[in-house]
Amino acid sequence: MASQKTKNDWNDESTSEISVTLLPLSTEQTPSVLEMVQGPGAPRNYELFRAEMVVGRAIDADVPINSTDLSRRHVLLKRAPSGQYSLQDLESRNGAYVNGVKIHSAVLHDGDSIQLGSILFVFHEGRAMS
Amino acid sequence: MSFFVRFWGIRGSIPTPGHLTKKYGGNTSCVEIRSDDSLFICDGGTGLRELGADLLTRGKKQITGHFFYSHTHWDHIQGFPFFTPAYIPSNTFHVYGTAEGDRRTYELLSGQMRSDYFPVDFGELRSNIVASHLDGGHREIDGVAVSFFEQHHPGRSWAYSFVRDGFKIVYATDNEIDLTFPRPEAVLKEPEAPRPIPEAFRQFCHGADLLIADGQYFDDEYEKKVGWGHPRASTIIDLALQSEAKQVAIFHHDPMHGDSDVDRKIALCKERAARVNPQLLVFGAREGLELRIG
Repeated sequence: MASQKTKNDWNDESTSEISVTLLPLSTEQTPSVLEMVQGPGAPRNYELFRAEMVVGRAIDADVPINSTDLSRRHVLLKRAPSGQYSLQDLESRNGAYVNGVKIHSAVLHDGDSIQLGSILFVFHEGRAMS
Repeated sequence: MSFFVRFWGIRGSIPTPGHLTKKYGGNTSCVEIRSDDSLFICDGGTGLRELGADLLTRGKKQITGHFFYSHTHWDHIQGFPFFTPAYIPSNTFHVYGTAEGDRRTYELLSGQMRSDYFPVDFGELRSNIVASHLDGGHREIDGVAVSFFEQHHPGRSWAYSFVRDGFKIVYATDNEIDLTFPRPEAVLKEPEAPRPIPEAFRQFCHGADLLIADGQYFDDEYEKKVGWGHPRASTIIDLALQSEAKQVAIFHHDPMHGDSDVDRKIALCKERAARVNPQLLVFGAREGLELRIG
């Protein structure tokens, strides 16, 4: 029995010429996220929605953490025009560690671990937030 | 007093941009060391371009810097023509040779800007670029004692140490330490055995608060690359252990290694270190990382 040709026939080796209409690119933006995996209230996600955000014990910190391990202003998360975040230690008493290394500052990449005192975060890189 | 150390270029041999090297970076060797207002620059690979751009954002009207080149192979000098502060008249840069009259580095830096290689002539750099030298292997610059050590690399290379107020940083790249062993072939047969690091180099690195050292190869890669001028990363762990360094940054990552390869190399290095001294901190040098020492 002869097969009937349909628009989606896998056996059809010819390609139909069409007028291509460009489809809209996705403009969806997703913020970078600081995921607290250990600490008061963990697990908990903090979306990084501003170009500069302070993590610390102060109640008015952008990411306030109620722990005496942290200085009032412990670290600054700063977004570059490229959208990439870096972490800077704000002369904290107990320091900041990225992937186990005590840093003064570091450009962050997806999956980096950030330890402040006994508080542990994982950084998740977002998309096109600049 | 503290040293601040920032990695601007960590890759060996040739720049390797691309998504496979996004985490560690693809720029070739360039490390910035700051002590108070003093600026020391170890090597001028392609990472130097970004350091230059950053220096211009720091608001200093006059920049003075001290360049220490491990050697003058391409991957250690290519950033210099793109180092914007060198084009600004108010700035001064000292380029150090290892002895009085040693202008080799200075001349190769200028030579790479001849019109055959680059459109802008060295003479058009408006900053004050001074050929200088270390006196008998040592020099004190703004309170920082700088020393050098000749390493094993085709065409020669030098390691540098920077010491102030009891804190010590060693920059030692492009050094095939493995070929300085009494019986290099024995190590190939027994990779787990401790490596016999030469006493003089152990002393040079002794007690470093931060040892930055070329650790380009996996053990199984090295056999095919003997004589290329770079060691096994595992040898650097033994150097750090035997010289009682406090932390070691594995540097000069192979251009064929993507981020996952470097992750694996560092994991193996950590395992080797932990068997002898779990306190030794081992990490992979990566661009954008800045440490405070002291």
